[in-house]
Amino acid sequence: MLSKLKTNAAVEALSRVCNLFSSIYWVSKTRTIATLLISFSVTMTQAQDDKSSLNSQDFQLHGFIAQGIIDVDGSDFVNDDGSVSTELTELGLNASYQLNNKFRFAGQVVYLDGGNRYAQGVRVDYALLDWSAFTSEHWQANVYLGRFKNNHWLYSSSRDIPFARPSIILPQSVYFDGFRDIAVGSDGIATKISYSSDNYGNYDWQFSYGSSPISDEQVKNVLSEYALGSSEQDYDAQTSFYWQPAFSSWRFGLSLLDAAFTYDSAGVGGGDVFFDADFTFQFYTLNALYEGEKWEFSGELYQQRFTIDGFYWPDFKLDNIGQGYYVQSRYKFTEKMTFLARYEDFYINKDDKDGKKLEQSTGGIIPYYFGFHKDATLGINYDITSNFSARLEYHWVKGAGRLTPVVVPNTHINDSESWEMWAVQLMYWF
Amino acid sequence: MNPEAVAIEVVTHHQVIDQSLTKSQLRRIYTMRQLYWSDNSAITVFVLPSQHELHKRFAKERLQIFPYQLNRIWHKLTYSGLGVAPTIVDSEQELIQSVINTPGAIGYIDDMTLSKVEQNQHENVAVIKVISQQTPVGEQEQKGSSKGVVNVVKIKD
Repeated sequence: MLSKLKTNAAVEALSRVCNLFSSIYWVSKTRTIATLLISFSVTMTQAQDDKSSLNSQDFQLHGFIAQGIIDVDGSDFVNDDGSVSTELTELGLNASYQLNNKFRFAGQVVYLDGGNRYAQGVRVDYALLDWSAFTSEHWQANVYLGRFKNNHWLYSSSRDIPFARPSIILPQSVYFDGFRDIAVGSDGIATKISYSSDNYGNYDWQFSYGSSPISDEQVKNVLSEYALGSSEQDYDAQTSFYWQPAFSSWRFGLSLLDAAFTYDSAGVGGGDVFFDADFTFQFYTLNALYEGEKWEFSGELYQQRFTIDGFYWPDFKLDNIGQGYYVQSRYKFTEKMTFLARYEDFYINKDDKDGKKLEQSTGGIIPYYFGFHKDATLGINYDITSNFSARLEYHWVKGAGRLTPVVVPNTHINDSESWEMWAVQLMYWF
Repeated sequence: MNPEAVAIEVVTHHQVIDQSLTKSQLRRIYTMRQLYWSDNSAITVFVLPSQHELHKRFAKERLQIFPYQLNRIWHKLTYSGLGVAPTIVDSEQELIQSVINTPGAIGYIDDMTLSKVEQNQHENVAVIKVISQQTPVGEQEQKGSSKGVVNVVKIKD
């Protein structure tokens, strides 16, 4: 009886602590959102004042607010304890100022909270000077300097613009949230050359060169929670080409990426179990998009090459070629309601599609299902107004190949091949 | 196209020198692939919200693009920093006012609203005078009364 009382008291105390923590969490989260909202509206009012004084369209201000609920069962994709989570917050505010016919400034700040998916917090999404180097009726050539977004893949520029991407959670094999901050853009130079012809359609060619800063939290997310050293990206070079035939519903594209990273170990003295390392990553995609009145189809086919030189021990070498694709269909059931269906299949090593060799080579420490990622998704989107939408989706996933940390995976929480998740999100933008 | 439906006219600021546009030019302008008029003055594009009936009809009938495709193109420009998307205004009235007031502007209007605006112009010259004082170019009042408050652009195949 006494012990039962003690247990009850302990449980109650624990639940009070939990409640306290969750209310502190909520207060702090609400406070963050409120602060951002207030700064939103203050900036908005200022912008409107500015607008009237400028009396032109040269200054533009846009933004978005999205909040959702996500529940993952069977993996640490969002959180470690598997509980229903509100860690699905995305806020953004951007401004564009046209200095003259040749130059424009543009920047966007986003606040993201996605649990384990990426580091929670505010980041500068892009901040650039756009030089309109050449323009005519058919041609446009722009050069972007500063921090620019990755515009090379089908959804790389809209991956964290909730209403502009096709689903709450994108195909992780291409739009892996663990790599989000590295893949979303770079600091450097980018160019875009567009040609629009009445007879042959629209052509867009883009090239970018730069690098992304890598935080210590990202190092832990991508490599291992025990990686105490620092990592940096040496360079990221990308190019892409898109073609839409004249008055066609189809558009085709391809992209190439080459990037290199280094890891500086904190050393044995610093308590780091890992060694200095060089990583390279190459990624090639082919994509197609069809936009009809009711049906929309899209897909990407890709191959990646990932090499490691060092890290586990000084002479360690790894050279893996991974492959994958996803196909996606959207059906506009009514003008406001759109259904989504998608299937994604990805494996990290093309010579080990079922991950058996991975399991063998690690003596069973890393289970086979860390070698692939397959996701079947169904979703529904409802456009409540022209700038307010609601979305709901369900994912059936097989494999742990796209969970963080990547290099040294968490096999303790991710102890099953199959996992599922659902998410709902409300999105407002202006 | 529903023959009973009211026709949609493409209108520009009265100083825009391009009196006619081809279908593909109009499409290029609304997909932000052509940013300047033939005299190199900047184009300012105005649209109604994506769920507005007139916007939906304009997109399908005049541009032969579905409104969701336009959204995709414009969202990408606005939220990735690549460029500037059209300015969205809430009502037809606001749209026509924006086209009247903004040099280089292009917009669309249904026939009936356009004739109302033109009627008002004759009855309400004072309003036009006020508008023309706001814009820096001097000759506007004269042109405005001789050519109408906006240009109605001919769309060729």
